[in-house]
Amino acid sequence: MKTPFIRGLFAALCCAGLLAAVPTCAKEYLITGVKPNGLVVIDPAARKVEKSFKIPGAGVAPGTIVPSPDGKIAYVVTNHLESVSGIDLESGKEVFRADFSGNNLRVKAMFAMDVSPDGKELFVFQSPVRLLPSEYKVEDTRIAVYRTADGVGAKPVRLLPAPRRLAVLAFAKDGGTLWALGWDLYALDPKTGAIRETRQVLNWTRENYGPPDILDVWPQFEQAAVFSTPYFTSRTDLPPTDPSAFKTGVLTLDLASGKLEMKDFENTSAVIFSSVVNPKKRDELFSVYTQLSKIDAAGGALVKRVDLPHTYYSINIAGDGKEVYVGGTACDVGVYSTDTLDRLGQIEIAGCPDQGVASLRMIRR
Amino acid sequence: MKHLKPLNKKAALVDQAVENGQMDEVVAMQVVVGCAATFDPGWEVDPFGSVAALCAPMEADLYGCSDPCWWPAQVPDTINTYPDWNAKAASAQNDWRALQSVFPKK
Repeated sequence: MKTPFIRGLFAALCCAGLLAAVPTCAKEYLITGVKPNGLVVIDPAARKVEKSFKIPGAGVAPGTIVPSPDGKIAYVVTNHLESVSGIDLESGKEVFRADFSGNNLRVKAMFAMDVSPDGKELFVFQSPVRLLPSEYKVEDTRIAVYRTADGVGAKPVRLLPAPRRLAVLAFAKDGGTLWALGWDLYALDPKTGAIRETRQVLNWTRENYGPPDILDVWPQFEQAAVFSTPYFTSRTDLPPTDPSAFKTGVLTLDLASGKLEMKDFENTSAVIFSSVVNPKKRDELFSVYTQLSKIDAAGGALVKRVDLPHTYYSINIAGDGKEVYVGGTACDVGVYSTDTLDRLGQIEIAGCPDQGVASLRMIRR
Repeated sequence: MKHLKPLNKKAALVDQAVENGQMDEVVAMQVVVGCAATFDPGWEVDPFGSVAALCAPMEADLYGCSDPCWWPAQVPDTINTYPDWNAKAASAQNDWRALQSVFPKK
């Protein structure tokens, strides 16, 4: 145990920025998007908004947000899904921008986006359509790769073929695999886009079960390096009047080991939109919608569920695993105890702008 | 197609193409064309056949559903056709009076 003197010295050095490279000194901030076209940095410990920035250019609803690995830049889908803007989280300056559309090609990026673990390349799932004089020609979906160092006006350095309907991109910890969740989970080669492996999700062959339904557009896996999402399925061997015929479960993908698990935890009794894994108790998972739920993912059991004051879409968690933060939809972020699920506080965003589907991400710096 | 009869020449050609196996693959288009191509009717009922599990309040869900065209029929398409429909209504719950009807541009 450190003595009080050493602890004090350590804290003073941290405050002075002299030990900024030591991970334990790092402070956590939440990043979210708000209308119209805004980006907000929140200090969850202080329960206050630290900074608010305007994303340059057209656009109303910020979408997916991906922080750079060093926590200095947030890449945000903007301009009605046709651009991604990189905002310096200290100055608010736009330091990266890629506009997707041009000539007669209209290109939209709905949700799936991630940055390589070295921070050098940004991967954006895109849907292009060619606007011809008498028809719209839908072209193949793709993942556009941008060099983050190319800054404002970046053009793709690679266009990788990609399956349709991707909603989440998540890099493996070592950067060697780009995981892509669509109807199934694909392990992609980040250099070529080649599908190295397909893990069956919608196309699972689980006996006496229908295909699982997944709605997940919220990347919130940075704290535990585990991607998780709820799924809903039904037993085909039971009559639909039987409550146990409908099951809710969680899919977890360990981004370090590549281990994928899908496990039911309750007879479907609540709608759930998104979930997050506790980095300190990796079998513990929290999910959100109009209720906040605590789930024993390994044991396949609901531990506790509490009502929320309104619906929230997204959820993230403190690095020490003590607090979960619920956001998205309206203009506040709720703070809850992971132990008791008691509401510990909330952060109101000035002017009460809606967050909508914007991601709720955590950075450490 | 056995229950449908073509009413014009173009529909007859589609009918013929189906019979000849000449149809292209149908692909999801709502992202790139507009909300009118989304067939999801919106959230009138929840998965349990009631309304208790819908978003609460409804305004919390309005933009989350309409921005990506989840609710094509009830609100304007902000992806392509009326991109700034809700630009002056940052809070659906507080600013809903600023959300106006839209009409085709001449």
